[in-house]
Amino acid sequence: MMKSFRGGVHPLPGLHQGKPLTDSKPVKPYVSEMVCIPLNMHIAAAPSKPIVKKGDRVLMGQVIAEAVGPRGIPVHASVSGTVKEVGNVQQLGARTSPCITIENDFQDEWVELHGLGNVENCDASAIIPAIQAAGICGMGGAGFPTHAKLTLPEGAKVDTIILNGAECETYLNADHRLMLENPVRVVDGLRAAMRATGVENGYIAIEDNKRDAIAAVTKAATGRKGVHVVTLKAKYPQGAEKQIIKAVTGREVPSGGLPMNAGCIVMNVGTAAAVAQAVIDGRPLVERITTVTGRVREPSNLLLRVGTIFLDAIGACGGYTVEEPGKIIAGGTMTGICAPNETISVTKTTGGIVVLNKQEATSMEESPCIRCSRCVEVCPMHLNPYKLKNLCDMNDLETARKNNIMDCILCSSCSYICPSRRWIMSSIKNAREIIAAQQKKGV
Amino acid sequence: MALHISTGPHLRSRQDTPSLMRDVLIALCPAVAASLYFYGFKALWIELIALACALLSEYVWQRLMKKPMRLGDFSAAVTGLLIGLNMPATVPLWVPAIGSVFAIIIVKQLFGGIGHNFLNPALAARAVLLTSWPSYMTKATVPLRALTLGFYEKTLEGVDTVAAATPLLMPGTDVKDLLFGNIPGAIGETCKIAILLGLIYLLIRGVVRWQIPVCMLGTVALLSWILGKDPMTAVLSGGVLFGAVFMATDYVTTPMLKVGQAIFGVGCGLLVVLIRNFGNYPEGVTYAILIMNIVTPLLDRSLNRKVYGEVKQHG
Repeated sequence: MMKSFRGGVHPLPGLHQGKPLTDSKPVKPYVSEMVCIPLNMHIAAAPSKPIVKKGDRVLMGQVIAEAVGPRGIPVHASVSGTVKEVGNVQQLGARTSPCITIENDFQDEWVELHGLGNVENCDASAIIPAIQAAGICGMGGAGFPTHAKLTLPEGAKVDTIILNGAECETYLNADHRLMLENPVRVVDGLRAAMRATGVENGYIAIEDNKRDAIAAVTKAATGRKGVHVVTLKAKYPQGAEKQIIKAVTGREVPSGGLPMNAGCIVMNVGTAAAVAQAVIDGRPLVERITTVTGRVREPSNLLLRVGTIFLDAIGACGGYTVEEPGKIIAGGTMTGICAPNETISVTKTTGGIVVLNKQEATSMEESPCIRCSRCVEVCPMHLNPYKLKNLCDMNDLETARKNNIMDCILCSSCSYICPSRRWIMSSIKNAREIIAAQQKKGV
Repeated sequence: MALHISTGPHLRSRQDTPSLMRDVLIALCPAVAASLYFYGFKALWIELIALACALLSEYVWQRLMKKPMRLGDFSAAVTGLLIGLNMPATVPLWVPAIGSVFAIIIVKQLFGGIGHNFLNPALAARAVLLTSWPSYMTKATVPLRALTLGFYEKTLEGVDTVAAATPLLMPGTDVKDLLFGNIPGAIGETCKIAILLGLIYLLIRGVVRWQIPVCMLGTVALLSWILGKDPMTAVLSGGVLFGAVFMATDYVTTPMLKVGQAIFGVGCGLLVVLIRNFGNYPEGVTYAILIMNIVTPLLDRSLNRKVYGEVKQHG
């Protein structure tokens, strides 16, 4: 039976969500001459601390920056070669990030790896440390450190782990191709997480527009203890944490709470595959599948080293089909983040690079709300986006809070569907940042 | 090279305000065609005058007030055409002209323009015309065609004009005449087949949802049946169908939540039946919908739905 949640949209129906550009393209490895590896790819209080300096020779998989704090994770060299630079580079977002630039010697000379062997027989207590040592964070986009997610606080009642293979974002096929080409790794990763946390129920949830992936994962999951494959209705944002929990378990995460409060842990399938590699082979997270698509000559699914420059990845796909791109998006077109330039790096969380032309990139002008109620219809949190937008525009943040503005998951469904082209999600996001700043100041 | 930077979503739905309004205009085409068929060039003149005056009022106002020019969203065109289709064929041409100017300037622009009017502009204009020039507005002719084609063979002596806004059933009219519009009434309201075609188009294109029209028509049918009237005739006579499809589905003046829309539809149907059967007016669609327009903010404010996450912790 197909499972789903209430609300949501079917984005870009004319383009079939942009998926056909790459959904049948096997993953191709691509290695560039140079990588620039940011040290803040995961969510943490502080970036990892560099332990190499300019001129050092590093091996592939060697730790080049140490974890800082209990939630920190180390960063590893994704190529073997020479460190060219340790310093700040413009990445996504307003500020620059500390980065380590390595020139590739194309030897792919690995450090010695120590795996735990089989995920079913290894020492369960060694799994979480192995995940941390491998530098794994959520690869679906948020970048939450995986070892921290799997380290449950005292008294937490978690009985379910959901692997998120929905991939509801437009244009992206990285998870789809992974599940199709390497389903055993995905299942192994789930089993490792289940053993590490002592959870008995594991679900791999996949949208019904990826029938081939469902078949492959179902086959790989046969005979594995407590692993179930769930078919989800293809709908955006099916892969949002709260929506996938509702669809799979029927539970709701309480307002302001974490998935844990609904007895669940949600992990991306890519993260699970990385966990499997870390546990079985002791292999750190140094590469990932990224869908490079849109206005490029040969849209592809590339296996990229962490730190690959966007322009190199785009070059590997034959370059732009337009003279000048209008927008380069890290992620899909619903929640992806705009690249400030072409030279930012692929990180552990970059599932896609989508190039738009100038016309597609032109911002549409807002016109007045015509109260068509589409935003209300699609909101997966069952909020009143039009009302929140009005309150934000009037700067009435107190009333906005009473209208559950903090429950918004910033999925953009409301802005997508709005016939008046209103920037509903942006206004909500800005207002929430102001509210968060006020709370911090204790106002 | 400068790259654009914004938050998501980076690509939007194809449906925008102009395309929605264009779809409403397309949905009105069968009704326009029917009006031309039954009433000839007079219908065309009425519709063109109403349309032109609505567009001109919108243009002049936005020009004079230095507001952004929004003729391109076609909302004024929809209002104008709706006013035209609501006129009887005998009306002097200055009546729809005044109606359109009133609808756009007073009802729409004075309250802030598109999205801010609390009454349906076309209906409010109709109500004003109805009370200001009742004799012009209620003199509905029997369709020209009926006479020339001769398939309207009922007694016609003395009923070439009928004193009612959109007259309800004349004695002896059968369902076929009701469906095809071979009855007196406003030029766009009589041919129910044309209106139903419009409804089907609007539903397929996802422009309107079923809640309001279905609840309104269902309520009219049910209550008429309870009162001992023929429900089919009740739904097909007068302006109920046109109102349910094109007037009560106006986004701006109807509730945002589905449940609110259902209540709105039921309310419209209830008021129509009450006015028709217990009021002094022979027809109540205009006032029924206008009253529910006024109730809309109340419905929006008082109805709430459960937000995701308003639950107890698991376990």
